[in-house]
Amino acid sequence: MRRMLTLLVSGLIAAVLGILALAGMSSAVTTTDADAKKAIEQVLKSGKQDPTKPQVYGTR
Amino acid sequence: MADVQRWTTRDRVILHLVAAAVTALVLAPLAAPGYVLLYDMVFVPRQPLRWELVAPAYSLPRAVPLDTVVSLVTQLLPGWLVQRLALAGVIFLAAVGAGRVVPAGRPSTRLVAAIGYAWTPYLAERLLIGQWGLLVAYAALPWIVRAALSVRSGRAGALPRLLLAAAPAAITPTGGLLAVAAVVALVPARARPRSAAMAVCAVAALNGPWLAATLVSAAGGASDPAGVAAFAARGENWSGPLGALAATGGVWSAEATPASRSSPVIPLVTLGLLLLAGLGFSRLRGRLPAGGGDRLALLAAGGFGLSALGVLPGGDSGLRWMVEQVPGAGLLRDGQKFLAPYALVLVICVALGVERLATGKASAMAGGLTVGAMLLPIAVMPDLALGGAGRLRPVSYPSDWHRVAEQVAEDPGEVLSLPLSAYRAYPWNPGRVVLDPLPRYLATDVLTDDTLYVGDLSVAGENPRMREVRRLLAQGRPVAVTGVRWVVIQHHTPGELDSSWLTGLQAVHQGPSLTLYRNPVAPPDPNLPSSWWGRWVMVAALAVDAVVVLIAAAGTLRRRPTAW
Repeated sequence: MRRMLTLLVSGLIAAVLGILALAGMSSAVTTTDADAKKAIEQVLKSGKQDPTKPQVYGTR
Repeated sequence: MADVQRWTTRDRVILHLVAAAVTALVLAPLAAPGYVLLYDMVFVPRQPLRWELVAPAYSLPRAVPLDTVVSLVTQLLPGWLVQRLALAGVIFLAAVGAGRVVPAGRPSTRLVAAIGYAWTPYLAERLLIGQWGLLVAYAALPWIVRAALSVRSGRAGALPRLLLAAAPAAITPTGGLLAVAAVVALVPARARPRSAAMAVCAVAALNGPWLAATLVSAAGGASDPAGVAAFAARGENWSGPLGALAATGGVWSAEATPASRSSPVIPLVTLGLLLLAGLGFSRLRGRLPAGGGDRLALLAAGGFGLSALGVLPGGDSGLRWMVEQVPGAGLLRDGQKFLAPYALVLVICVALGVERLATGKASAMAGGLTVGAMLLPIAVMPDLALGGAGRLRPVSYPSDWHRVAEQVAEDPGEVLSLPLSAYRAYPWNPGRVVLDPLPRYLATDVLTDDTLYVGDLSVAGENPRMREVRRLLAQGRPVAVTGVRWVVIQHHTPGELDSSWLTGLQAVHQGPSLTLYRNPVAPPDPNLPSSWWGRWVMVAALAVDAVVVLIAAAGTLRRRPTAW
């Protein structure tokens, strides 16, 4: 009985983490292109990127 | 080290297969052709071997001797292949190295360490900011630690192995310093002072090229202290910068940080990992030769301290003073780079902590715990997979670049890259920012702006030649009076550019991406910024490096295989 319980608990932990890893990866990958395009369009529309200012290395 | 598992061929094969799988998972997008151009990661078809890349005359040697190595290798192999070999080598060797360095009691502990070390926020963030040279040192670190502990124990053939592991780390100044720190912390032993001295001196000698380049550069050693605030460790979630550092993250750039790091769960996971590491540390101490565990902990603490210096009360002002006054102290302003030893020790201790928890448990429970520990890094940071969720994506240079490179090569002379901007966001490399590739693409010296913009903050560069050009342009003088022979205008990229600057220049190529102008009044001889004695100093430093590596390679080939 105890062995069954430990098997169940450890299996659940591994399964949950596995599902989280796979789900996270797939969502991150499938949304990237759209997100990137959207972000570029937003920047262009909002005019945040001043063409006369040097390219920003990054933001904090 | 009695309870350290002696591993079989099967264990080794599994470790290498797991490392290969992790590498493939992270770098899958690089199966497509082209070059990944992201922040500081610049690869070109064939990087020329010229003095400005070997020893920059007017800027600090941040990529010395990295650029020399890439230039030499790309004379034989195409740049796209070198990039793939370098990136795959980093992740694969980091995983295998961590798996081998952990004094494991079970084979699965090695796999926990391997996956954990190849999936840290440190690796993800430095990969996404393009600092692959630093990641070479990160990958070399477990091998350095393993060899350094062997030298301390007096194992035959350990010193050559240590030098072979430290040599790739020293392709950047930060990596070289990390290697020296690891050797100084781990090797010295009262019983073997001579071998310890030899190890420290030889690894220090591997740092010769960048030290020599600093000596011969006209940039001086000081940096803009504004960089301390700009490049200090950054909080990624509610736990602040120290919490981010504790999890091996905290790079200064928000754009180089995987989105998953902002999850409110991350600090709780970090706390759990720290508790596990605490459990594992006693096993580490017990299984390494006497003092080995404590010395590793000291090395990790030193790295963490340097990383946190910029965000500690008083630390930032001290760092600002050092960066301005002490030559070379600018290396410390992006202190998170020095977190690599902490990352390694954390991963090793977590793996041993999991092993300790699993010991004595039913096999199913132990298996569940171990598999959970293997999957945990991926579950909490899934957006490192597939090239950081698509951020590493190869592109091709427009054909303009090749034509401009050919024309400039026919009449070499100094080139000015306009608009004035150190980094570029090209329409053909959408959604990504990259360091101007022109200096590595063209076979002649290229002047680019070296001012860095971090949000609204500007961090001045060190190049006095560029400062002079900027001064002339600010006075309304045309580029023609600056003495440069060529001007390349990179279209559709932001930056300072005034059409009056181009007065008196002759357009010789006009393309959709680049326009090339010739300066008819440029002096006939190109600038020779490096003095001849400086070049000889550089050649000597590189030769010493090569000799150390060759002797180490010969020593390794001659030694008998050992069990460890």
